Amino acid sequence: MKILVCVKQAPPADAPIKIDQSQQWVSVYGHALPQMGKYDEYAVEQAIIIKEQVPGTTVDAITNGPAEWATVLRRALGMGVDHGIQALTLEGGYASALKTVSCIALAVRARSYDLILTGVMSEDLAQGLVGPMLAETLSFSCVTSCVSLRVDESRNCVYAERDIEGGRRQLVELALPALVTMQSSTNRPRYPSLSNIMRANSQELEVITVESSEDAVSCEKLLRLSSPQKTRSAVFLQGSSKDKARELLSILRKRSVLH
Amino acid sequence: MERSIVVVAEHTQGRLTPVTYEAMACALEIQRIQPARIVTVVVGEDAVEVAQEAIDACDQSVLAVKVPGLDSYNGEAYRWTLSHALCGLGASWICVPGTTQGFDFGPGLAVRLGASCLSNIERVFEQDGQPIFVRNLFNGKISAELSAAAPTLLIVQPGSFRWERHDIKGRSYVEVITVEWAPTHTRLLGFKSLYPVDSALRDALVIVSAGRGIERRENLELIHRVASLFPRSAVAGSRPLCDNQWLPYRLQVGQTGATVAPDLYMACGISGAQQHLAGMRGSKFIVAVNTDPEAAIFHEADVGVVEDLEVFLADLLEESARLTP
Repeated sequence: MKILVCVKQAPPADAPIKIDQSQQWVSVYGHALPQMGKYDEYAVEQAIIIKEQVPGTTVDAITNGPAEWATVLRRALGMGVDHGIQALTLEGGYASALKTVSCIALAVRARSYDLILTGVMSEDLAQGLVGPMLAETLSFSCVTSCVSLRVDESRNCVYAERDIEGGRRQLVELALPALVTMQSSTNRPRYPSLSNIMRANSQELEVITVESSEDAVSCEKLLRLSSPQKTRSAVFLQGSSKDKARELLSILRKRSVLH
Repeated sequence: MERSIVVVAEHTQGRLTPVTYEAMACALEIQRIQPARIVTVVVGEDAVEVAQEAIDACDQSVLAVKVPGLDSYNGEAYRWTLSHALCGLGASWICVPGTTQGFDFGPGLAVRLGASCLSNIERVFEQDGQPIFVRNLFNGKISAELSAAAPTLLIVQPGSFRWERHDIKGRSYVEVITVEWAPTHTRLLGFKSLYPVDSALRDALVIVSAGRGIERRENLELIHRVASLFPRSAVAGSRPLCDNQWLPYRLQVGQTGATVAPDLYMACGISGAQQHLAGMRGSKFIVAVNTDPEAAIFHEADVGVVEDLEVFLADLLEESARLTP
């Protein structure tokens, strides 16, 4: 079967960031290197697991972003993906999900994938939109927030367990072609193997340019970035660590949560 | 056609879920900026019964989309029935609760309706007669203001809009349509309750919760010792810790875990991802300990401690022992 994984680059979740001069995007400071989104790694891992289980499976990875995002495709190749596709955009920064979806749809429509996997959301925008919108655009069946997936080729379907509220899971059978978004789980994404890294570094990426068919009018516009409003006014404790510990104990005693 | 603002209700076991009321509150905010009628849409086998609750809550119209046989959520059913039911409503804005369910059917429904889609909406304000939508980016560290052209589907961040019960003026009514639907591509096989939420979490007055910032599994020992300072306390954690198998999933606080509201919630090394905040925002008093002064958790905290977690928790235990005779 033919699998496609959609991946993107983002700063690590705990990277220090600030709004840049354009007021339209951010810059990352310190030593944090951008990397593949955490949930995307789970999607790649799931694709590789299926490849190991179902003979004849090939896995492609696609990214829709600026040239430097090639690093996430190399990472995916290192994890065991067969082929990397880079759908280039000229600039980075905020991208409307509608635009990303139309670019990826144009790039992959003719390639007849059986299964597309994405992360449940990215780590920077955390929109959770591109996967399910892409599914609808390609007329694929779709299920989101999955923690476990099993392919049944003879029945042309996948079985998915999706995480829902209250510590419960919903079990779903999905006809192929399907798009599944992956939530984090106990399936730890593997590290690239040495042999795969060597292959990844020498392998050519397929670079394509696609023009979004979405006009600017239908996409939302980012007007301004700012620091978030605080819902509670946190009092920051001052002094040494011991001073802070003493003050916290005193605050908690006054509130009678500590006796 | 008269324009409308649509709210897609979420319901379970015959009752509207609290997030549905929050989506209604978001719709009311938009209505103040751009007057239009609000229509709450309920989908399912028991849509008519559930619609009655929506009518009792607000003086807006309610559309019950009765789907025989649809006794629990199915994404394919929701996308299909809603794309038909919404056709005649002239919806400018469609408000969907930001739960795993809303995120499952919402984006696809938007595509089907030719609408754009914005998620994690936490605030709406007016600018030149237009609604501007606010959401956060980068794990809560940055706030973004977005404008969108109608029609747009809005996925509403849980815990962000407050519903206030108001007097019913008696203009409300339920319209019922019945839609026949059979699954073609998505079959629901059932539910698994692998990780029933720990009753200790529900009953605890104090929850000491650990996140990725604890770095080493051995540091959970410190978390347990801090929890033992308090009567009726429990230890919990964020999702990454449970994925690492450092804590069982039944102790996970957040959107896909437990929702808690103890007297004290002590967040240790938790960055404050939206999915976690959704599960603990209602706590009466929140103390956050984190090395990163920019961490989003501090926006939700009453008391903030910027310190190395290991050092600070050890000091807290030591000072507590010193002060207790």
